[in-house]
Amino acid sequence: MQDIDVLTEHRVTKIDAKAKKIEVANLSTSETKWFPYDKLILATGARSRRLNLSGSHASNIFTLKDLQDGIRIRNYVDEKRPKRVSVLGGGFIGLEMCEAFRRRGLETYLFCRRDLPAGNLEREISERILKELEENGVQFLAFQEPVAFNLNGKNEVSSIETRKGNFPTDMVLMAVGVIPNVELAIETGIEIGKTGAIKTDFTQRTNVADIFTAGDCCEVFNLVSQDWVHTPLGDIANKQGRVAGENAAGGRATFHGVVGSAAFQVFELEVAFTGLGIEVAKRYGFDVDSQVIEAESKVGYMPGSKRILIKLIFDRRSGRLLGAQMVGKEGVARRINSLAVAIHQKMVLDEIARLDFAYAPPFSAPLDPILIAAEQAVKKIKG
Amino acid sequence: MGRKERLLVIGGSAAGPSAAARAKRVNPDLEVTMFEQGRFISYGS
Repeated sequence: MQDIDVLTEHRVTKIDAKAKKIEVANLSTSETKWFPYDKLILATGARSRRLNLSGSHASNIFTLKDLQDGIRIRNYVDEKRPKRVSVLGGGFIGLEMCEAFRRRGLETYLFCRRDLPAGNLEREISERILKELEENGVQFLAFQEPVAFNLNGKNEVSSIETRKGNFPTDMVLMAVGVIPNVELAIETGIEIGKTGAIKTDFTQRTNVADIFTAGDCCEVFNLVSQDWVHTPLGDIANKQGRVAGENAAGGRATFHGVVGSAAFQVFELEVAFTGLGIEVAKRYGFDVDSQVIEAESKVGYMPGSKRILIKLIFDRRSGRLLGAQMVGKEGVARRINSLAVAIHQKMVLDEIARLDFAYAPPFSAPLDPILIAAEQAVKKIKG
Repeated sequence: MGRKERLLVIGGSAAGPSAAARAKRVNPDLEVTMFEQGRFISYGS
């Protein structure tokens, strides 16, 4: 219908940027063939990082990046009926998978190299996540980094070795981040940024003529830090892809960048954030301060009203909002978007505290939690 | 007239299909081919 040729199970093995052609291997037949191009888009994505430890290639160690990985994990749980699973890494994937494994009734252990899960978020948020994990039967193991996997005779991990002990397990999920797929780009002489992902500009071009890039393999501009970063997320990939496609077809589109918004759910808890956290904001030279408040998601007498926690991160000098993080069982993921707009617009707390938000008891209190948080932050600056 | 312009897209998850579809919409005469090493496309967005 769209008249786009799609060749699955085809791996691109070489780019000849001078002759403007690529070498492609058909993975089912092992045949290779050259395809000429006028314009080329690199959307090679990222792959799951794997810990390189003794026993790392056991058959019951999984990573989760794509549909095939998900099917593999589900099939293993269906067929082998593991009782105990070990999740390595407390990021989005690790946390979401803790929930998935608990739903399947597995004893779930979450190994973290720090004291709290979601270590990139603010402590107050991570503490709530930990509580939610514990309430849902996940065993959280702080400061536990695997040093080796002990295998049984069938090339399966039977236990995980850390510096503190030995933990029996029936399967392992490694969720320790992703690495951009940049090997083809490097071989082609395409410039890589300081993050290790492909360097690009606001038009999704690379430094090589007629080659564009988009998605998890390339960098994106952060509008708050004013720096190129690697933020591998599906919504950004889609937007960059549209810009790359439009420009490759002769258009003039630009992708201005992101403020760093994302949300996820772990069990009943919604977690959402936008902008910079305290540590990152400090690194970029802001005069950082923060304010934490708790408030009801709706008017207290309404059924389903839940307590939500908001942390605002701001610059004391300018009063500008730099970041916001929120956690709670209701009304969090959508609420964060108002603050994403505020950060896009470089709004100061004073302006945010005076925003005219829609109010009715089923949706918020007369003073929305965001307004309360901004007001408290203003008071803190004024001292 | 000469041959049609060719666009090749490497990768078929999120960015690849968005780029291919957009390019085709902007210039329907473009010959667009997308390569994906896995069995599925649009699998991880």
